[in-house]
This record gives sequence, C-alpha cells and structure tokens, in this order.
Amino acid sequence: MSVMRWVGLVLALVAASLLAVAVGTVSISISALWDALRHVGDTMAIMVVWTLRIPRVALAVLVGAGLGMSGAALQGTMRNPLAEPYLLGVSGGAAVGAVLGLMAGLGAALLPLAAFAGAIVAVVAAFFVAHAAGARGDPRVLLMAGVVVGAFANAAIMVVMANAEPNTVRNALWWMMGSVSDATWQQIAILAVYVLVGGGALIVVGRQIDVLALGEDAAAGLGLDVDTAIRRVFFIASLLAAATVSAAGLVGFVGLVVPHLVRAAGVRRHRELLVGSAITGATLVVLADLLGRVLRPPSELPLGAVTALIGVPFFLVKLRRLV
Amino acid sequence: MPVFRFCSFVAAFIVALAGCRPAERTPPPANALRDDYGTPITIGRPPQRIVSLNPATTELLFAIGAGPRLVGRSEYDVFPDSARFVPSVGAALRPNIEAVLATHPDLVILYASQDNRPAADRFREAGIQTVAFKNDSIEQFARDARLIGRVTGDSARAATLVDTVMATLARVRAATANLPRPTVFVHAWDRPIIAIGGGSFLSQLLDIAGARNVYADIAAPSATVTLEDVVRRNPDYVLASPVSAPKMRASASWNAIPAIRAGKLLVYDTVLVGRPSVLLGAGAVSLANLIHPGAVR
Amino acid sequence: MIEFEDVAVRYPRATTNALGGVTLEARRGLLTAIVGPNGSGKSTLVRALIGRIPLERGAIRVDGEAATTLGGAELARRVAVISQREDLAFPLLVSEYVALGRFPHLGIWHAPEETDRRAVNTSIDAAGVADLRERRIDALSGGEWQRVRLARALAQGGDALVLDEPTAFLDVGHEMSVFELLHGLARSGKAVLLISHQLNLVARFADQLVLLHRGAVAAAGPPDSVMQADILERVYEWPLVVSRDPAVGAPTLVPLRRR
Repeated sequence: MSVMRWVGLVLALVAASLLAVAVGTVSISISALWDALRHVGDTMAIMVVWTLRIPRVALAVLVGAGLGMSGAALQGTMRNPLAEPYLLGVSGGAAVGAVLGLMAGLGAALLPLAAFAGAIVAVVAAFFVAHAAGARGDPRVLLMAGVVVGAFANAAIMVVMANAEPNTVRNALWWMMGSVSDATWQQIAILAVYVLVGGGALIVVGRQIDVLALGEDAAAGLGLDVDTAIRRVFFIASLLAAATVSAAGLVGFVGLVVPHLVRAAGVRRHRELLVGSAITGATLVVLADLLGRVLRPPSELPLGAVTALIGVPFFLVKLRRLV
Repeated sequence: MPVFRFCSFVAAFIVALAGCRPAERTPPPANALRDDYGTPITIGRPPQRIVSLNPATTELLFAIGAGPRLVGRSEYDVFPDSARFVPSVGAALRPNIEAVLATHPDLVILYASQDNRPAADRFREAGIQTVAFKNDSIEQFARDARLIGRVTGDSARAATLVDTVMATLARVRAATANLPRPTVFVHAWDRPIIAIGGGSFLSQLLDIAGARNVYADIAAPSATVTLEDVVRRNPDYVLASPVSAPKMRASASWNAIPAIRAGKLLVYDTVLVGRPSVLLGAGAVSLANLIHPGAVR
Repeated sequence: MIEFEDVAVRYPRATTNALGGVTLEARRGLLTAIVGPNGSGKSTLVRALIGRIPLERGAIRVDGEAATTLGGAELARRVAVISQREDLAFPLLVSEYVALGRFPHLGIWHAPEETDRRAVNTSIDAAGVADLRERRIDALSGGEWQRVRLARALAQGGDALVLDEPTAFLDVGHEMSVFELLHGLARSGKAVLLISHQLNLVARFADQLVLLHRGAVAAAGPPDSVMQADILERVYEWPLVVSRDPAVGAPTLVPLRRR
C-alpha cells in the first residue's frame, strides 16, 4: 500500500483520538481543551480531559489494536475470512471468569484478572480437546474444539446467572456488553505490554502467516513446521484477545471487520496487514466509544453494542458482494 | 458462535433501551377498591395466612400488627428483624408459585411490576385473594398502607402509622424550609453508574430534607448515567453507600467531580432509606441531618 | 538425488499400510513419474517426503542425507514441492506469490537481498509468466496458475522439483506446454519427480516410470518396460491394450469397453 495511504491511516487515528478527547457530555471549547491538555486553566476541564477522557481513549486504542491484530493473524492462519479473536472460546471463558468473580464480590482491581484467567483456561481447554481428538494442529479441529468450549462456557454462564442475585446479573450483563469507561492507568499499562509484546510477536512471524495462508501442504513444502507455527499464532492471538477482554469486556466484530477493511485498501502481506489492522482497529474502537458516549445522553451505549451495530451492515454489504 | 453472541448483544441492547423508557405505563391509581394492577379489591374477613412478597409491605405488616399472621415472605425481606422468622418462599419478582401455594395463604401481596402479572393471575386462579402495590413514592406508600390496613382488618393502626410518618415528614420539611438547598447526586450503583431519578421516593425525601436531586429532571426512579454527565451537573454533595464511598474517594476518575475532591462525599444509611415504608420519617430525618447537620431534632 | 528406501507409512487409525516398502530414486537430469490407480499411495509419498506423515519403516534421503535430519528449511531449499491443492483465500499478486518461494532462505528474520530478487526474476522468466507479474493469483486461468506455481517452486532454488498432479484440470494445450517445460527443466539438470494419473501423457515425457499398486511398486523402469498390457491390466483391473503410434513414438494405453 502506498505511503500516502499509510499516512492517511495514521492521521485518521490521530484525528479520531483528538475528537474523542474533545467531545463529550461536558462541553469544552477548543481553546479550553488546548489549555486543559497543558494542565492550565479550568480545573474541571483538566479533570475531565485527563482523568475521564484520555484514559478511555488510550484504552480504546489498545483494545482496538489488540483485537485488530488478533483477527488479522487468525484469519490468515485459518485461511478463513470469518475467523475472529474470540475463536477459541476466549469470550465465553472470560465471561465465566468475570461472572464468577462478580459473584465472589471481586472489586474493579481483581475482576480483570478473573476474566483473563477464565479466558486462558478456555484456550488451554480448546487445545486439550483438540489434542485429545487426535489432531496435531489441524486448525479445523482446533476451531471445533473452540466452539465446543465456547458453548460450554455459555451454558455455564446461564446456569450461574439463573441463580444469582439481581445485582450480580446486572453487573455481569454490563460487563459482557463491553466498555472502556473504567479505564485506569494501571490497566492501560498492563494492556500496553500485552499489545506491544503480543502484537510484536505476531508481526515477527508475519511471513509464516503468509506461507500458512497457502495451505498446510504448501506451507510444509516451503519448509515451515506447520503444526508449531499454527499453535503459536493461535496462542498469541488468543492471549491478545484475552487481555483486551479482561480490560474492556466483550467487544465484538472488531477483530472480524478490521482486517477486511485493511485488505480492501490493498494490503496483502501479513506483516503490513497486522500493522494496518492495529491502526485501523484502534481508530474504530475510539470512534465506537465516542458514538456510545454521545448518542444517548445522559447514559452511554455499551461499546460492544456499538461495534455490533457497525458490524452487521458491514456484513450485509460483504455478503452482497459475495453473491 | 458469533451468531449467539450477536443475538445476546442485540437482546442486551434492547433490554438497555427498554430500561430507559421514562416510566412504565402508569396503571390506574388505586382508589378505594382497586389495586395497582387495576384489579378490584374485596374487603371480607381479615386474612389469617398472609404472604408478602415485597420488603416494604412486609415491614408495613409488622408495623400494623399483622406480623404474626405472615406465613411467607420474599427472600430479601429482613425488616424488621422478626421478619427473619417468617419462612422465605423465594424471589419477589417472578415468585416461585408452588412455594407460595404450599403455605396455603388466603392473601398474597405482590409488587405491581409487569413481570409479576402472570404470578398474580395464577394466584387468583387458585382462589387466593391477591393484591399488588407499586409503592415507589411517598404518596403511594400512604395510599397503599391504608388499603393494606383495610384488607387485613387493621385499618386503625394503619391510619395511625401513616399519620405519624406524614407528620414526621412535615416536621422535617418545615425545619429545612428556609435553609439553602444544595444539589445532591445519589449514587445507587457502580457498574453501570446508576443515579436516583426524580421518580423515586428517595428523590422526594431529599426534597423534604432540604436538598435538590441533581437528576430530578429524570422521570424514572433511576437512570444509567455517565461519570462525565455527573461532572457536568456538578452536584454540591454526593451521597453514596458505606460500601461504595471509600472506593469512590480513592478513585481518580470519581475525583473528577468537584464535590468528591472537596470532601463533600456523604455516606447515607442505605438500610434506613432503602424502602418507601414505615421508616420513611426516620429516613427523612437522617438525610436532613446529613445535609443540614443539627437542623432536625 | 531423492531416494526412497523401503519406505512404509501408515495413516493414524488405519488398519493397513498406505505404503508398504517403496524403493525408488529420482536423479538429476531425469524426469521420473509415479503413476498408479487412485489410492495406490502416490500422494502419500509426497507427504512422507515433506514430513507431514512419520515413516513406519525405511528412509528418505536427499543427496545422501536423511530428510528427517535435514530440517524443514534446508529440505525446502533443496527440494521444491508443489502440492495438489493450494488455498486462494487471500490472493497475492503473482510477483509477491513467487517471492514466497524464497521463504526457506529468508525465514522470518532476513531481509531479501539481490540474490533473492534475482532468483525470483529468473524463475518468473523460466516459467514464462513475466507478463503476469502484476496480476492477482485468483485472476489467472488454470494453465497460467500452474506456471506461476512452477515459478514459485523454481524460486526456491533447489535442484529437485516434486509435483503432485501438476496438470489436473488443464486442457490439452496447457497440459502439453507444462510438460514441455518440465522436460526442459529435467534436461537442464534438475531432478523432476512428478505424480500423475495420466499415464499416456507421462509416458511420452518421462525417462523413468514407477507404477504403484496398493502401496507397493508394481513395476519400474523406462516407459516401454513398464507399459506392458499384462502388468497394467492387473494393476488397473480393467481390460486394455498397449499400442504404439509411430507418430507419437511412445507406448499408449487404450482401455477397452466391457462387452
């Protein structure tokens, strides 16, 4: 993709982030915003900008980048344009972890840990199920194992919630709809580490994904240890997704839609696709959060709901082109 | 799998939208002969086996002397303490029909929400007198308490109770009438942030206690709000539960609200002001003394 | 250059061996063809070569070294394998696709250098697809696609080419041109090993035929010696005759209609 387009992508992200910091329930003029960013002027504006909006935007950027890269890596590895980051039961497992954590009364600090633990357990279980079924790294078997684990997790959530207090149910439902409103700098720092390390690792093995995208026999013919390479990508991509879920709940459709958008802009090789998906995913989530905040004051639409509403028309368009 | 999650998102979204309807379709006000579902009430022999599925009415029944005749309550009715000795028959919303029927009641009192209608029909089909009340405001409390007193045969004590409560409320109102009225944000829940709205009895209590609910413009009893919206409304005080208050004080994002930064986060007795019932008067007094210390004896 | 010595392979959960002791050799400068009925184990040989299936017995050697000890990348640098199927889920441009052939040399760490670029360009020219460079691989005809795949295999730079059914779905003209190309590559010094079910076509170009039957070698040698009616009838379980057309100069299998 041409340099101009890359510059455009980055500029879009910067513009979206600035917009998201500038716009909100509290009206802040441009000059007041400029002052607030430099920590001068109206205290309320400074507090709103630095304590409320900037953390949200930062978390949204990381969540979008993580999900975008995870989706791009999984689609290439599975050779399936419909693959997405929650593939291996990550969403179901994280939700079980979060619901159990809420029932145990975990506070805002420990809840992400519970969600993360649940996600990892689900991914490991999916690998285990696939291994027990006798497939070495066959992505189709892993995919089915992920579906099984995810379905089991959903059933577990229903069982737990049926007997839970109304407050727990409300908490759990809110968590599952996804949100960056509880962004803390600690969460942002932790997620940043995951996104940088995990995303970096995926970019490093990006050429392997190019080769895997040709098919397993062809990839083996080019000298790649196919089973190990697939397992590696699945694990890193799932870890990235689990980290975003633990920080922001379930934000669907981003990992599914973003790689398609980047490919439509003419990016074909996976190293570039991963970088493009990180940038585009970040932009998408920042904008989705902004929309959620301004569409229906005084409350906000959950982030996962907004991304789902964006994802559906996208797929209708895609389906029409396919047919 | 993506299909399931998509459906849950849509479902949750619809629920969220539905939850933000300003108020449920208000039923015809309960006059002397109808409950809050609009069903006629017949006054006959005083019932001897009462099931109350609502913390406010359970507390009320004990206060008017009908406590010994209670054979069942909902699981969270623990006021007054003696209520704990009454067996629990399960949830207050969408009650366990069989558990209730097993106590052989001759009167069932429900909370008049939409999802309790099927249960009310079921009880009536079983030949049990069933009354439903929606006691969300002070006026509703007064009206419902008198009606319940008539149904259980304790009209006199009910009337006395209502009069006492209303007298206390009037006293508090008078004591704070000439004091400055600060704005208050009442924090009811954390995830999502739920504020007490104008339609709640708590908002009315605040008014009596000499304050103004910063979300009084919302007709519903409660509403989901964003932190930034609270900042915009800039309340003079923030009221929070004993559990939430320390967390809010320590949280960087909550400190974006000037009131919290200035130390004007007040802890309110959520137990005392939790139900629009017998303790309304005491609740008003506690709120008034919280906001205007020493104003009410 | 590639030796299979008494190779036996069994698929997991199978009751019989897919290959039961196959010995054959593909030498530089020769076009060796493996033929046989469906299920005789032809594709299994290729999978065993690239390590997708473990060997029960025997050894596969490339220039004397065991394939298992060589490691995937080194094996790919010496032997280019074109499998039967390839996925076109995310289509690349032809130039990008052929460049993937350098993966065994570059891995994930090395940047492409002049040698790599030259290898890619030479391969594209050798396969005759220079005018297709900027096309997407899903916008190619069957014949063009096969040539492009060949270009990628050539870009891998090894001395051996292994092809599994290279002319499936191609029409006569494209079939012939692919085979002419392969023949030329063999003559230029590469070891070309191909699998095909098209006996007649292969008989005209191959220097060596290996006939597989139920996982074992039924006959091996120059086409004339392998294409004998009695052997072929036994293996293909169908009545046939072998004729020799003077114009063509190679034996031709002609199946008969059942009376």
